[in-house]
This record gives sequence, C-alpha cells and structure tokens, in this order.
Amino acid sequence: MMTFIKKHKLITIAMLAYLITLIVSPEIFINAIKQNSAFLLEMLEILPPIMVISSLISVWVPNDVIIKGFGNTSGIKGKLFSILIGAFSAGPIYAGFPVAKTLYDKGASVGNVVIILSAWAVVKVPMYLVETSFLGAAFANTRYLLTIPLIIVLGYLMQRIVKRKDIPVSELDNEITEIYENLPQRNCGACGYTDCHDFAKAIKEGEAKMDECKILSRSKEIV
Amino acid sequence: MTTIILIAVAAGFFLWSLIKSRKKTKESLKIAKGLFISTAIQIVGVLALVSLFLAIIPPELIKKVMGGANEAVSVLWGSLIGTVTIIPAFIAFPLSKQLMEAGAALTAIAAFLTTLTMVGFATFPIEKEYFGTKFTIYRNLFSFFAAIFVALLMGVML
Repeated sequence: MMTFIKKHKLITIAMLAYLITLIVSPEIFINAIKQNSAFLLEMLEILPPIMVISSLISVWVPNDVIIKGFGNTSGIKGKLFSILIGAFSAGPIYAGFPVAKTLYDKGASVGNVVIILSAWAVVKVPMYLVETSFLGAAFANTRYLLTIPLIIVLGYLMQRIVKRKDIPVSELDNEITEIYENLPQRNCGACGYTDCHDFAKAIKEGEAKMDECKILSRSKEIV
Repeated sequence: MTTIILIAVAAGFFLWSLIKSRKKTKESLKIAKGLFISTAIQIVGVLALVSLFLAIIPPELIKKVMGGANEAVSVLWGSLIGTVTIIPAFIAFPLSKQLMEAGAALTAIAAFLTTLTMVGFATFPIEKEYFGTKFTIYRNLFSFFAAIFVALLMGVML
C-alpha cells in the first residue's frame, strides 16, 4: 500500500480530491467525472499509436548513434544535429540536462547545448503528432515553423553571453552519474520512473534495482 | 481525422520495422507496453485532477484570464502559467483543447505550451547544478520572451 502511494502519488492525490468533492458537492463531482471520461476516451485513441511510434524511434534511433554523428560541432551541420538530438530523444527537458552536459564536456559549444535543450523541449516527433490531433495541423505547423528558427537565434545569443568559465565543471553526484552511465539513457519510462536519471537516483537510494530496466533486461535475454 | 493519420503513421512505421527486423520490432513492442502502462497511470491521475479543477473553476474565469479583451495580457498569463506548472507535455495538449473550448485565446495557449516545455521554474535548481546560474537565468529568460514572441506572431498568422 505504502509503495503504491509513493509510486503513484498523483493518482492517490486525485482519488482523495474526488472523495472530498463527493462529500462537499456531489454536483461538482458528477461534472468532473463527465469531463474526465470525455478526456480519457480521447487519450485512449491517441495513446497507443503514440507509444508505438515512440518506442520504434527508441529502437531504431538510439541516442549514441546521434551523439556519434555529432562529431562536427560547428557550423550549420552542428546546429542541425543539435536539433535532431533534441527531436529524437524522449522525456522532458530535465532529462536532457545530463545528455547535453555530456556533449558539452565532449566539446559541444554553449550555443549548441542551448539548441539541444530547446529542441528537446519543443521539437518532438511524437509530441508533434499529439499536438496535431488535438489542436489542429495549422496550429502545430505554425508553432514549429516559428519556434525552430528562434531556437537557433537563442543559441547564438547564449553563445555570446555565456562563456565556458560560467559553466561549472563539478561532477554532480558521482555515484548517480556512474549508475546513469550504465543505463541505456533512452528515458523510455518503462521502469516506472520519468527518465533514466530518476531511475539512477532510485537505484542509489535502494528503491529500485538495475534489472527493473526493461531495455537492459531485454539485451540480457538476447545474450 | 488526425487520429486516423496518427494511427496510419504508427501502422506504417510498424510494418516497415517488421519487414526490416522482426527482433527489433518485438523489442519495441515490449518498450511500448511498459511505456503505455506507466504513462497511462500518470495520465489518469493528472486528467482526473484537471477535470476536477475545470469542474470547480468557472469557465468565465479561464475566459477572463486567458481570453480577455487585451490579448497581450492573456498571452502573458499563458506563459506565466506554463512557466510555473510541470505536467507532461502529453497531457498539456488535451488540456489546451479544453481550455480553448472554455474560452482561452489561441495565442495564450501557444505561449502556455511553449513555456511549459521550455521554461522551468521548478527545474531551475536542477539546471543550475548542471550549467550554472548565469546560463540558467539567461536561457529561461530568453525562452520566456521567445514563447511570447512566437505566440503573438501566431495570432497574426492564424
């Protein structure tokens, strides 16, 4: 019970909130349930194909393939690669911090790091599809077309303002970093944690075990 | 309509993968299953809370804040709300649709979506640890204004 609550904080909070609403105002409760079922039905149609596309990208475009192609960090090619790294990676922007930092340590410029992070946040293949389904193709296309050039401008501006000496060289938490480096870094979320970094932290704290990683255990089966 | 396109894209990609490599396709299905279960649990929780929130908050308030007469103010509100909230981008899209139906302006929603993913109030300390204070402040600040800029331009174009 306790582990369920800890792992599914949100749903526990939601259940409590609904319980309170039911007692305080049954009318609002019924409205919320109606609203909720409409939402859920729509999600159920969209979620499975998105998951299939996301995981196919994970399998066919592994992170290290893109990172290896990142050799050329300057010029247009570097910028294009930076956008691609962001676009084909999974997870929210904070999952991108360790990846971008690794590339920075390997010599990527400040500008390209900013482009990677911004693209990671906004330019996403599966997310684009979800956006099109809900808000329409015109909305999604315009937003992407306007944002992508702006991301490059953003990288240029940041490059001028932030120098290499402004960025700390410190290792965050050696143990977590070490665990993290042994993970596939796909941020697939199949283990139940948001991203590999969260999972690495949970392993360090003894909450999770390495073999809970679906990708790692999968490669073991093949060996 | 777009849902059909979405399913078609997934099916096409899946078939291509199946022809290319049966093993890799199997792997991807395993990941997809895990991904689906973990995301579904999360989504059910967030959607339930959002629905409750929308049932309690009157639509007029959303209309007033994110769809007022002064569009610039609505955009500012949209980007501020996006900055302070952290919800998975997945859920942000159905939520945005719902907000728009409740009267929020398109531009405010665009600003909300961009700052939601690009600007992080809650992730500020994490980013600072990796890239330092100066980098973090400037990146978030510039991204915030970029989001407003994109939103206003979208208002002109759409």
